[in-house]
Amino acid sequence: MIRKRLLMTTAALMVIVSMIAGCAGNNKSGNETASNGGKGGKEKVEITAWLTPQWKGVLDATEQGADYDSFLKHAAEKFVAQYDKYDANVKVEVIAGDQRDQLLNVNLSSNTPPDVFFESVFPMGDYVHRGAIVPLTDIIDDEAKNDIDQSFWEAVTFGEDIYFYPFQHNPGTLVYNADMFRAAGLDNFIGGENEIKTWTMDEYQQILDALKSNLPKDKYPNAYPMALYAVNNQGDTWNLAYLRTFGSPFFDNEGNIVLDDEKGAKAAAWLKKLYDGGYTNPGAESVSSNDANAMFQNQQLGISFTNPILFSNMKTNMENGTSPKFDVRLANIPSESGDPLSFTYVVGASVFQSGNDKKMEVAKDFVKFFSTDPELVKSSKNGIPVRSSVAEELKDENPLFAAYDANSQYLFNFTGNVPGYSQLREVLYPELQALYLGQKTPEQMVKDYQVSGNKVIEQNKAGSVIYNK
Amino acid sequence: MKLRRNIYAKENMTGYLFILPQMLVFLMFLVYPIFEGIRLSMYRINYQNEKFVGFENYMILFNDPVFFKALINTVVFVVFIVILTVGFALFVASAVFDKNARYVSFIRGSYYIPVMVSMVVMSMVWSFLLNPANGLISYFARDMGLGAINLLGNPKTVMPVIIFVTFATNVGQAIILYIAAMIGVPKDLFEAAEVDGASRWQVIRKILIPSVKPTTVYITIINIIAVLKIFVVIQLLTGGGPNNASVTLMYYLYNNAFKYNQLGVASAVGVIMFVITLLLSVPQLKSMLQDK
Repeated sequence: MIRKRLLMTTAALMVIVSMIAGCAGNNKSGNETASNGGKGGKEKVEITAWLTPQWKGVLDATEQGADYDSFLKHAAEKFVAQYDKYDANVKVEVIAGDQRDQLLNVNLSSNTPPDVFFESVFPMGDYVHRGAIVPLTDIIDDEAKNDIDQSFWEAVTFGEDIYFYPFQHNPGTLVYNADMFRAAGLDNFIGGENEIKTWTMDEYQQILDALKSNLPKDKYPNAYPMALYAVNNQGDTWNLAYLRTFGSPFFDNEGNIVLDDEKGAKAAAWLKKLYDGGYTNPGAESVSSNDANAMFQNQQLGISFTNPILFSNMKTNMENGTSPKFDVRLANIPSESGDPLSFTYVVGASVFQSGNDKKMEVAKDFVKFFSTDPELVKSSKNGIPVRSSVAEELKDENPLFAAYDANSQYLFNFTGNVPGYSQLREVLYPELQALYLGQKTPEQMVKDYQVSGNKVIEQNKAGSVIYNK
Repeated sequence: MKLRRNIYAKENMTGYLFILPQMLVFLMFLVYPIFEGIRLSMYRINYQNEKFVGFENYMILFNDPVFFKALINTVVFVVFIVILTVGFALFVASAVFDKNARYVSFIRGSYYIPVMVSMVVMSMVWSFLLNPANGLISYFARDMGLGAINLLGNPKTVMPVIIFVTFATNVGQAIILYIAAMIGVPKDLFEAAEVDGASRWQVIRKILIPSVKPTTVYITIINIIAVLKIFVVIQLLTGGGPNNASVTLMYYLYNNAFKYNQLGVASAVGVIMFVITLLLSVPQLKSMLQDK
């Protein structure tokens, strides 16, 4: 009996020990694997680089087998081949843009953030305020500072430090179907092929009226004059631009929202008027910018939104025959003052605080390498290069570079560099939905957005490492 | 006395050791997160530090009208989806349980298929149907001259649509459980009822429903817990909109944790959901245990 019990007890203990051993074994793999014996007797350091889908291919989407990770993979190969401090390896992963915050938050909570992240800077500012991103000031030299315009450095500077290495930028504009314009008798309003056309508010209204009334129904069934969407935070930058149409400065000097005035209410009323007047796709409150983009490519919208990457992807789709071919051209977001409204997304790399000094060192070296290498920086032509030298060198290849450059004088900083910008984005679309559904008047909408938006900003200032140094 | 206790402890040691791994897993992955959640709900957290803020996160919640909207919406979802599921499953199961075995299998299979399909896929199918810009329903409505139909963009219709989608996806499981329970009801009860000349309705009301009461309690509890956690369908179909008309507690928690990085506030929502689930489940579990 005693012997039987002893056996049972031993069996039970073995189960427990093997479980603990199993758990302990799993825990061992982590940051520690960073430093093992590698090639040439050098220490082995593996870093992970994430990117959201930016452009396909190393230089452009026409390359064979072009994919979103092609550029960073090519950059990683080139980096590893010439790097002599460590036996480095760079693992490249593409993550969906709408999963960015979820994945980053989960990985930050479990202390396994990516080492490098290549992304539009505007939604990443929060991670700087949270202390999750390390400064890159020490890897920026004078040559880079002179080659990249000060406005881009301002967009990536938080407090006293630079946190992102600017690579390219993507100015947001409108895009229109010139064939549809011709069919509606709007030939006079069509700009040149390499022009970003600017319309006055009156002209814009004439265009919408003609697209609504004059389009031949047999050629363009179920087509609407312009895109409007508010189901989520996608493409909210255009909505933010529309809210500035009548001159609202949007942010004050302290980084608080100041939309609740006559100008803000007028802009909201204008959006509501367009929606109610049938000038936009129906159900804007349940439509995403992706839906709007698809509708435009299917010739169901006369005017939509775009940026250089979306624009070139759209043209590639037309060339490949994956979407109908038609004449697409660019236009500015109009405003009452006559000056166009222009904004841009700065795209660049950041290095996350992984707690492993060697990984962070390699990550910084990798970022510096692909942001300065003369061959690799040419890939920034997929958007608009931030480097004057690259823009100058490639200006003949892409005539739109000059048009975008001419627009840069009208740029406004849509994030205001405020802490909690990601959360602020979540506050906007429910208010727009309330406006379109008639649950709130334009005055009430701008008032409520200002109150809840400023609450978000205030709440996030309290937790910001930049504001609480 | 002491000696007896020692012998008793020794005799049971093996048993305790065998359940120890299970208990460790239970403590590590269920009990510890609950206490950690309660602790986190009293902190303001960023990547570098945690600061104790007492009940500030709860105050933020109670001052946020969206939280109350989420709370009300969640209760509405729970009430309607559970009532619909139990009612419809009882109806289908009591209608078919005594029919030909192949017919019963067919019915069971038909209703169970949506349960097997991932909720993500189901939500995408519904999204394809209901999208006002390029959805099939909107397309046919426009074609038939009914104008623009936007069921997900109307605060009055969005809740019924989500209730229906969730109910249609989940009801198969309840039907399977009810049919199994009804097949197990002693045949002599039905024979006695037949001899007494009871109608089908009387058989269902007086014999079937009371006989499957433990199943009803079980289905109710698991559905309450499942519906309290309703998330995927909201995330994919409405994003909580329009104007927060379909936001739920779980979606609100997700937004705070993963979009706003307000981990403390999200933990506070989790604690409140835990308390609600506990309050709703305890009386029913009690009645189930008493019956046994």
